[in-house]
Amino acid sequence: MKRSTQIGLGAAGVLLVATVWSMTSDSQEENLVYNSLSDCRAAGQLTAQQCETAFSEATATRLKDAPKFQSQSACETQYGANGCGSASIGGAQYFIPALAGFMLARGLAGGPAQPLMPPTAAACPPGSTLPECQQARAASSSSGSSGSSGGSSGYFGSRSRAYSTTTGSTVKAAFAGGSRAGSVSTTSAASRGGFGSTARSFSSHSSS
Amino acid sequence: MRRVTLPPRPDWVEQVERLGFAFHTIDGETYWDESVAFAFTLEEIERDIEGPTDAIEQLCFAFIEKALDSEEILTRLAIPAEHWGYVRDSWQRGERNLYGRLDLAYDGRGPAKLLEYNADTPTALFESSVVQWDWLEQAMARGAIPRGSDQFNSLHERLIAAFKDLREPSPYRLHLTCVQGSPEDKGTVDYLADCAVQAGLDARFTYIEELGLLSDGRFCDGANQPIETLFKLYPWEWMFRESYGKALAGSGCQFIEPPWKAILSNKGLLACLWEMEPGHPNLLPAFFEGDPRCATLSPRHVRKPLYSREGANVTLMERGRVLDSDDGPYGAEGHVLQDAATNLFSAEGKYAVLGSWLVASQACGLCVREDASPITKNTSRFLPHYIEP
Repeated sequence: MKRSTQIGLGAAGVLLVATVWSMTSDSQEENLVYNSLSDCRAAGQLTAQQCETAFSEATATRLKDAPKFQSQSACETQYGANGCGSASIGGAQYFIPALAGFMLARGLAGGPAQPLMPPTAAACPPGSTLPECQQARAASSSSGSSGSSGGSSGYFGSRSRAYSTTTGSTVKAAFAGGSRAGSVSTTSAASRGGFGSTARSFSSHSSS
Repeated sequence: MRRVTLPPRPDWVEQVERLGFAFHTIDGETYWDESVAFAFTLEEIERDIEGPTDAIEQLCFAFIEKALDSEEILTRLAIPAEHWGYVRDSWQRGERNLYGRLDLAYDGRGPAKLLEYNADTPTALFESSVVQWDWLEQAMARGAIPRGSDQFNSLHERLIAAFKDLREPSPYRLHLTCVQGSPEDKGTVDYLADCAVQAGLDARFTYIEELGLLSDGRFCDGANQPIETLFKLYPWEWMFRESYGKALAGSGCQFIEPPWKAILSNKGLLACLWEMEPGHPNLLPAFFEGDPRCATLSPRHVRKPLYSREGANVTLMERGRVLDSDDGPYGAEGHVLQDAATNLFSAEGKYAVLGSWLVASQACGLCVREDASPITKNTSRFLPHYIEP
């Protein structure tokens, strides 16, 4: 026979492969991001025990290292409405940014999990239309639930969401279509758009 | 080789759309046309198409070895000198290739003749691999063609196998990219992504306009994910000349098709192969424009830009008169002249060109496209084929 014996087509509405989209590469530069303990378990990349360990590490680090405010409004000015919670630390009452997620090195050799908090006003000013900010705001205004249901992304769509770390820097995680696990590359693009200009200038076919 | 008129399936639109085939009609014109099919004998397929396709691929490999050692050839092919080392390295590292399509003139009599090699960015893949395969099954089931017919088409399983073997260790993460605004290109890439996922890969799509460059020199997708392996339905000759061209060599990215395909995806190849193997039964006489030997070509010949896609800027000449041409933006890098094929299949005022597919350099499939003009363009119709039992 000169032809394929069978054609399993994912595409076409018959494409059920989206569920196979696991992260199979093992790049040390990448960190995994989960918005909640249940997302971590559901993603299936780590064992339930590993998820719990990571979550409790992140929770402890947040209480220890997150910026502390005397009032809810001072905190929310920095981290957005519903972006803060109260915490009792050393017997005193403070307001600190909410735990929006946690991040850990993919290789499990990268130290304890880090807490992720809502993005700062500097990174995501109120009313920002950046997709990663909208995801972050939508998640925090639904008061800290997993926030993993959003996104009208198609098969290839990816969502991005911004967070801040305890040191105040911004990280942006990408969630592949439908995935509960995000990932962060530790470097960000220094430039963009260096390919595609010939196609634009020709307005012609790039294929044959 | 016979051109057979057949009644289309009454619900053919639903049938092909159920497979996800979105561009069966392009700009209001029929592209997928199952009112006609081409019938071949097994001997025609194996002796005249499969065998010569494998032979031409081997000839191309010999040519690459020669070209990489020759500044003169690389210059004639208009490959920018600053990328010679990059192209050479990709060949010497043995970077694997995924697919390509030889366009052949063949009318069932005598040897097929190479019209060109779409080595870098071929389309018409999904309709070749899947849509005509499904058509065959249904055509046999409804008795439109004899049961026990076959098709030269193991593209689907070869593509999945080739994806697994492209990089080690496998599975690996694969990005796929094409330009925005081309449903045909996007459909081709979506299909390849599907094959990649079935090969166990972590496949991710990003438009080429979204590609970024990280501070460490790697390319990244729209979400800043570093890119390790990139399938790009975008020509090497454009990538070399665009602003990220300088970043290619330091990106650590494995490209599919690999950079050495730039040597084959170039109409200059036609003149170079003829120079290597003059009189080869599957080649047409061809020379670079300006070569005095152009005077030895037949009065009826074709002028093709070195870089051209979808028949753009190809001109059919007869005794200095233009018989047919297609407008387009190509041609700045020079032209080749090639004898017009005398064995183009023609019937009912239409001309058919065969596309002979290679996956991982193995001949494994066939498509037939037909046009009212002897220059096959992106508006040509795609016709299914079968092998008679």
